[in-house]
Amino acid sequence: MRGSGSIKALFVRESGAGYLLAGLLLVSVIFVSLESTTRLLEPLRGVVATAATPLVLVAEIPYLLSQKVENVVASQASLVQQTAELERRVLELSQVSQQFLALKMENERLRELLGSRARLPAEVLVAELVGVVPAPNTHQVIIDKGRDSRVQVGQAVIDEKGLFGQVVEVDAFTSRILLISDADHAVPVQVNRNGVRSIAGGTGEMERLQLEKVSVTADIREGDLLETSGLGGRFPRGYPVGYVETVLIEPTSPFAVVTVRPLAALDRSRHVLVVFSRPEDTDGGVFQEGDPEQASDEAASEAEASAAADLNSSIEAAAELSEVEQ
Amino acid sequence: MNPAQGGWLILLTLALAMVLGIVHLPETWPQWLGWLRPAWVSLVIFYWVMELPHRIGLIAAWVIGLFVDVLQADPLGLNGALLAAITYVAWRFYERLRMYSVLQQGVVVFVLVLASELLRMLVQDMIFNRGVGWGPLLPALVSLLLWPFVAIALSRLRLQFHVA
Repeated sequence: MRGSGSIKALFVRESGAGYLLAGLLLVSVIFVSLESTTRLLEPLRGVVATAATPLVLVAEIPYLLSQKVENVVASQASLVQQTAELERRVLELSQVSQQFLALKMENERLRELLGSRARLPAEVLVAELVGVVPAPNTHQVIIDKGRDSRVQVGQAVIDEKGLFGQVVEVDAFTSRILLISDADHAVPVQVNRNGVRSIAGGTGEMERLQLEKVSVTADIREGDLLETSGLGGRFPRGYPVGYVETVLIEPTSPFAVVTVRPLAALDRSRHVLVVFSRPEDTDGGVFQEGDPEQASDEAASEAEASAAADLNSSIEAAAELSEVEQ
Repeated sequence: MNPAQGGWLILLTLALAMVLGIVHLPETWPQWLGWLRPAWVSLVIFYWVMELPHRIGLIAAWVIGLFVDVLQADPLGLNGALLAAITYVAWRFYERLRMYSVLQQGVVVFVLVLASELLRMLVQDMIFNRGVGWGPLLPALVSLLLWPFVAIALSRLRLQFHVA
């Protein structure tokens, strides 16, 4: 310690602090390494997060106020325009859903013919964003549904347009969502047009994903719609992820650089859906190529997905199925 | 005198600092403001430990760090270590720090915040592969600029409510 002789006696209480600090640092190192490799500390994290929930809610107030103010000062003209827009969308969507019902029935009949299981619709839970993780180098948000609503780690989250992210932490009343654009996130996808599989990784930019390790010969074009493939067992199959924006082939590289624009409004959506997927919706990565039933199952779901997304005529789907059968 | 007088004010200012650390900025504000967020909790803890070194201990600082970990989605224990280290420095040298001018204190704050942000960046890079860059310099600079205002505001509050 500092000083010597008679002065030192006044500061006797200091002597233990260095050891205490060293002890706390050691505990921190142990905690951090435990957290990065195991899930042992999750209960502790849950307790602290529950206690900290009021702070999260308070931190959201300025944002909510700004939204309120925007609503109050919005001009009548813009509100009228907004209403007209919404009415038009309702009409469009109701037309789509009418066709969707018919297509679904048809698809179920075809599946019965093939002898494969019917697919149950996934349950969803509407959740509202109550906070964002402030670090600018990570894309995470907090929603207002937690263990009280049976949310679990790993569930997929979608918004009205497409895949949004996945649940990475569940507390008593809130959960944390990792967005698909986070640099640490990746989602198995397939091209809606032909079923070519790939993995879409986040880049840390809200408006851009990147397909990983795409060979230059892969049939992926600009404008292709990518949807979740269900491989890997995390995300249910068939949710739209984004459109291929650019395909860059460099002569020196064995891989093409494919960038994807996500469909979900990652930085704007306030309401999202947490998907409670059924076990049969995901493949769990155990797809075997020689298995004919699996193959036709795959083709059938592919046909269903493309039919639902593009509203192709049902005849085409049936033709595709019979092709597989032959 | 009641030895535990005004503890609520210390807790309240710490809670406010945590809220400021995660407050959701309105959409219309530019996104780069997110990079300028000062280390609010570090500033407030530094002030209280310097002025009232008997009120906030290392363990308390570490527990506050747990809350910051959860709010900022950092690995558990990271902010505890950083805040405990800041508390230790402020507590070890509090007589000297009180004699400093506000600017000199600000420089100490700058060094402490810069060091802790650098360490945070390294740990995050190790665990989440978030990469390294010049990012930590900005919060440290903003903390330096804000220190005089934080110190004056907290002094006012401390005298107003007779926190001892």
